[in-house]
Amino acid sequence: MVEAVQVQLKKGVLELCVLALLSRGDAYGYEIASRLVKGIEMGEGTIYPLMRRMQADSLVDTYLVESASGPSRKYYRLTAAGAARFAAQKTEWTAFSGAVNAILGGAQ
Amino acid sequence: MNRQDFIARLRAGLRGLPPAAIAEAVADYETHFAEAGAAGRSEDEVAAALGDPDRLARELRAEAGLKRWDAERNPSAAANAVFAVLGLGAIDILVLLPILLWIAGALLGVFIAAVACFAVGAVLMVAGPFVVHAAPIVALVLAGLGLMAGAASLGAVAAIGAIGFTNALVWYGRLHLRLLRPALEPQGTLA
Repeated sequence: MVEAVQVQLKKGVLELCVLALLSRGDAYGYEIASRLVKGIEMGEGTIYPLMRRMQADSLVDTYLVESASGPSRKYYRLTAAGAARFAAQKTEWTAFSGAVNAILGGAQ
Repeated sequence: MNRQDFIARLRAGLRGLPPAAIAEAVADYETHFAEAGAAGRSEDEVAAALGDPDRLARELRAEAGLKRWDAERNPSAAANAVFAVLGLGAIDILVLLPILLWIAGALLGVFIAAVACFAVGAVLMVAGPFVVHAAPIVALVLAGLGLMAGAASLGAVAAIGAIGFTNALVWYGRLHLRLLRPALEPQGTLA
């Protein structure tokens, strides 16, 4: 049960986390995957369908950069719509998590 | 499972999509393997961390199907989107199937009725004056035209209904896709 709740919570906030990551700077797929995995322990493959969905929704766009060490990297960059989505979701999350924390604190 | 197995299963799962879409998706994961290899991780380790390629393929297919429905409103795109959403398991098929069949059956019935009315109207207008001698020709032609117009509007209403129905299903599927089952069940690094 606890495990299921954890998984649902992580999945729900994955898009918010990607938006946050990209708001600090453009990043390529592997970078996003490995940083999110380190932070919130999601399956790495999840990122690519999510990036495709966000691209389809025009929240991000992409550009290619040649890499010295291997194949050229596809970088993702927030669009104006993506930045607006991030601001809105962040506000929502802050209010929601604040309310939950207040209740959790009161229960102790 | 190594890189080759993973990519082969992903490809198999994506069969039927436009070649460009498959190439793009495969390239994403090939690049991921290359980057991970450069970082010193083994192929088996990376494949396990990526998750189940069959499920990833289903997710990517669903996304492609929904995107196509957004771009082109035709019966084939609608069927594609509906099946893609069902394939994800985002909607409990046992709950949905009776409703789905009922609505699809009703819509089909309306369409058939519309086509039949249209045909009757056409026959009445063209052949009526030669067969039925009791009624005046003008009345028969007008009755035929009226039937055809009625059938056309019935068909249009059914089409609007079908589009609305598909939209609702796609919206529902997307909601679940986003919130409940983005891409795969917990495994790999999550275990």
